[in-house]
Amino acid sequence: MNQPTSRGQKALDAYHREAQAELVDDRTLATQLWPFVRPHGTWLWISLVSIVLCTGLALVRPLIMLHAIDRGLAARDPQVFFEGGLLFALVAALEQVLQFGQTYAMQVLGARSMSDLRRHVFGFVGGLPLSYFDRQPVGRLVTRVTNDVDAIQELFSSGALSALGDMIRLVGVIVLMLRLDVQLSLVAFAAMPVVGLFMLWVRRRAREAFRSIRSETARMNANMNEQVNGVALIQAFGQEEAKALEFDGINAAYRDANLRSIKYDAIQDAAIDAISAISLASIVVALGWHGASFGTVVALTAYLGQFFEPISMLAQRYTLLQSAMSGAERVFGLLAVPERDAPPRDPSEASHGSSELELELDHVFFGYKPDFDVLHDIQLQVRPGERIALVGPTGSGKTTITALLLRLYEVRQGAVRIRGRDAISLGRDELRRSFAVVPQDVQLFSGTLAQNVAAGEAPDLERVRRVLEQMQILDVFIGRQGGLEAKVQPGGSNFSSGERQLIAFARALYRDAPILILDEATASVDSETEARMQRALEALLRGRTAIIVAHRLSTIRSVDRIVVLQKGHIIEQGAHEELMAHGGLYAALYQLQLARHAGAEEAPAAPRVGVAQA
Amino acid sequence: MKRADFDTIPVTLRGQFVRHLPSYVLGTALLALYQAAQYWFDTRLRVAIDAATSGERERALSLGAWLIVVALGSLGVRVATRLILFNAGRVAEYELRGALLGRLQRLGTGFYQRVHAGDIMSRATNDLTHVRLLLGFGVLNAFSTPFALVSAFAAMMSVSPQLTWAAMAPIPVLFLVTRSFSAQMYPRQRENQEALGALSDTVQAHVAGARVVRSFNLEQQQLEDFDRINERYLDKNLSLARLRGSMGPIMQGISGVGVLIVFWYGGSLMVKGGISSGGLLLFFRSLARLTWPLMALGFLVGLLQRGRAAYQRLAEIYQAVPDIVDGDQPAPPSVEGRLEVRDLQFSYGENQVLRGVSFELPAGGSVAIVGRTGSGKSTLARLLPRLENTPPGTVFLDGVDICRLPLSTVRKAIGYAQQNPFLFSTTAARNIGLALPECDSDEAQDRIASAARRAHVLEELLGLPEGIDTVVGERGVQLSGGQKQRVALAAAFVLGPRLLVLDDPLSAVDARTETGILEAIDEQRAERGVILITHRVAAARRCDRILVVDQGRVVESGSHEELLRVPGGIYRAFAEEQRIESELSRLGELDLAEASGRLVVAQEGA
Repeated sequence: MNQPTSRGQKALDAYHREAQAELVDDRTLATQLWPFVRPHGTWLWISLVSIVLCTGLALVRPLIMLHAIDRGLAARDPQVFFEGGLLFALVAALEQVLQFGQTYAMQVLGARSMSDLRRHVFGFVGGLPLSYFDRQPVGRLVTRVTNDVDAIQELFSSGALSALGDMIRLVGVIVLMLRLDVQLSLVAFAAMPVVGLFMLWVRRRAREAFRSIRSETARMNANMNEQVNGVALIQAFGQEEAKALEFDGINAAYRDANLRSIKYDAIQDAAIDAISAISLASIVVALGWHGASFGTVVALTAYLGQFFEPISMLAQRYTLLQSAMSGAERVFGLLAVPERDAPPRDPSEASHGSSELELELDHVFFGYKPDFDVLHDIQLQVRPGERIALVGPTGSGKTTITALLLRLYEVRQGAVRIRGRDAISLGRDELRRSFAVVPQDVQLFSGTLAQNVAAGEAPDLERVRRVLEQMQILDVFIGRQGGLEAKVQPGGSNFSSGERQLIAFARALYRDAPILILDEATASVDSETEARMQRALEALLRGRTAIIVAHRLSTIRSVDRIVVLQKGHIIEQGAHEELMAHGGLYAALYQLQLARHAGAEEAPAAPRVGVAQA
Repeated sequence: MKRADFDTIPVTLRGQFVRHLPSYVLGTALLALYQAAQYWFDTRLRVAIDAATSGERERALSLGAWLIVVALGSLGVRVATRLILFNAGRVAEYELRGALLGRLQRLGTGFYQRVHAGDIMSRATNDLTHVRLLLGFGVLNAFSTPFALVSAFAAMMSVSPQLTWAAMAPIPVLFLVTRSFSAQMYPRQRENQEALGALSDTVQAHVAGARVVRSFNLEQQQLEDFDRINERYLDKNLSLARLRGSMGPIMQGISGVGVLIVFWYGGSLMVKGGISSGGLLLFFRSLARLTWPLMALGFLVGLLQRGRAAYQRLAEIYQAVPDIVDGDQPAPPSVEGRLEVRDLQFSYGENQVLRGVSFELPAGGSVAIVGRTGSGKSTLARLLPRLENTPPGTVFLDGVDICRLPLSTVRKAIGYAQQNPFLFSTTAARNIGLALPECDSDEAQDRIASAARRAHVLEELLGLPEGIDTVVGERGVQLSGGQKQRVALAAAFVLGPRLLVLDDPLSAVDARTETGILEAIDEQRAERGVILITHRVAAARRCDRILVVDQGRVVESGSHEELLRVPGGIYRAFAEEQRIESELSRLGELDLAEASGRLVVAQEGA
């Protein structure tokens, strides 16, 4: 195996340590959790009151036994035993009802408040900017909403909070035992200091074992998952033996942690049993010197049992508390992320422009990373009803411009204005409702066709039909089983890429927003589909301002103005004929497209392009 | 503990039971001893109480001393019992899991297409837990309960048979109720798990589709969807909570009835002088001792059923026959690296992917296999090192059928770099040094760094937070697709096989990196045979020979220049399309902003 001192091993160790680091500050946790618990406070009160009542009843039970036995024996009357027994049974039954009420109220409290927390985290994630998602793996965010919140819920369902009842019970038992008979109680407690020290010793180790079980479980599952998913790589590299050895290390560590936990659990349980048996024997012996009624002996025995019960639960509860803490830390760590999607800004920062213009990008600079701009000084003015094509080589910034219009990202410098109003002064919803978007990769949701067309609204079938008719594509879909309510499989896998495009068009028309953003798909389609898409597009463009990231020659020709981008700069603008006459980048791109378009039919070879020396 | 030999340990329930039989026998004997001690303790306690209350102090004292000794002795026996029996369950779990991984490593794609990764993981975790409970907890309680029953029953009978029968009346009810709880618990837990899975899927879809959600203001609808599923999870949670919460009180309630009976009937007997005060105390103790074993017995029935069903699902993996195994010939002393493929046909079920591919590659030669997506070229790549079930008599290494050679020979000789590379959650250096026995010596570090440099990924790796020792993979720092591909390439370089199969090593890299990787492939060609699967003409043209695969057949074959001359050829179309693309990307790289965009367009051939 590897030397533990190497740099690689150190990095790995640090990584594993970090994965199980647990920073605990219970006060902040409580203040952070409280807003979610408070709305369900009634359940908390029900639970707390039940805990107190329940503990009280449990403490009363041995006293009932005491009196029934002593009075029954004194009166030599079975009736007294019967009445005492009945009272005992009633109290016990009431105690159990309260016990159920207490645990259930606590669970309801936990489940409901954590359900609220989950919803809050989900909503919060929905409000994070896209730039945050670009940096974080999806799985990590999913875990925050599911497993981490569940870990906090354990706090409630494990009864960790019932520890309050245990405390009352421990104190109550001691007080009542002493009141019943000081000497006998002291005899029973004689072994307690030893028990206390022993418990401290065992519990620390039990806790450590329990914690390493949790972390080894996570490591083991992750390792096996990787080996299963990467089995082809392992086989190709002949690493079966090495990887099995690696897994065996974790598997054995997991086994050993479990064996330790078994050992300490067994010792603890058996020790508690033995101590309570010894206490009992001591009381019995002491009876020879110090007479007491039989009822007192029975009651003391019963109290002894109650005394040891909660002690054995403490170690487990403590560990659950720890894992809840680390879950909470991760969840509230996420909630502390300050970035927001299209956050409201100070109105004084907002710039103003001409309301004659539908859209305006005013000296816009932008980069996905802080030190690297992908758009430089973009100036673009679009009049209402104008159709603009954005053209340029891959990576020139076309799609980024459309993202800035929607304020999916924040501009670094400059302003984006809609009808003269700065995008930062518009509400997020108000801004985005001005746009209908057809993205390059169309995503269909599982559901029905109509739901997909209505995206986000309850589908109005009549309106869906009208939209499809306007685009002359109703016949494409109506023949499917279910018609407009045809099932869409996850990812839209039962629709061809051409059909998916048409659905995206229909979605945009259904939305009926004043501005259309269309990011054309690059994939080539057959000429019949091409013609259909053009007709549908015409219907979509009618009466709308449009920004089109164009790849199709037919689209490029039908716009009012072409904006040519390269390396984040606008380098040419104008109508098709003007730009062709200019003989610049656009002309070169156009000819390349033309050559590609004809590629299948053995077109003449494409032109070569070079920069003229000035 | 030494590592078990997972190939030889038994993987059947019976086999594991027999394997741990000594533990079971010893544990059972200790259980019997413990319960006998309990019987002794209860009955002597009764005598001691009666002695103490009737003034026989000395006798009570000596009995008391013995009671303490027995209590301490029981402690030891009880700890030993639990250790022996529970450890047997854990050790069985450890062995079964180790054996499971061993089997999984040997199974081929045929198995992994049938049983998906998520399913395998659920078997390795949930099902194995049920089997472990059966072999540890199950066995302990199966033996412990009868002993406990006998011990407590005998102690009570020694005081009063009538009271014993009366006190034991609620016991069958206790057993039946536990059984019914245990039967309801399992489906509710499963529903709870499923609701959590649905919740997780919803969040996943929402986060993955964030861009669309925002563009269309779908936030509200997403939140409503989430609320619906969140609400369902809440319901399942509470339904489980109700069952769990009611279990303790109902059990306590039932055993409370026993206490009531002892109290009333026992009290009457005591008044009448039928039993002593010590006898009554004994009843309370013995009855309390019975409650837990009987509850456990109720659980045992469900445990047995689930454990067996869970084992069946595991057995499917244990019994799966690896379809790719060592051949009958010994490993040759050395491999030259001559490869021959003869009429190779291959299907996934009904779907025929390769319809007869033949070619020869002399030792140290290079061949490019070009084709569209879905042409079967990646399948061909996996068939060569037998990562798929290669049909016998189709692929020959140095003239020997690879199916007749030991697997390790074939895979050591024919290295393979995946198109969609997989990284383990370990350091980048260890991912690259996958083939090395250790990655920490200076020599290994040098080899890793040099391979990373040749794969043009070293600089980027050194830029990571911990440099090349940064933990990458699913749970570490996320590498880009192109970086992963180059790490995989570097790993293949470290392996240093006679023949290197590279499956589309350029599919996720940018133009600048592409040039670097092409140089690296040239270096490799000088040292070993190379089979390059690609759709990039720029890469293919560097090989001695190019095969164009379409619909599972070789449709064109020859050198770059020869194939360019094939009218209507696939390769020629590829070349033209890619030339346009490279022109486009070159246009994207030109410095036009300052040059005010004056371009000259010239016709080809000028």
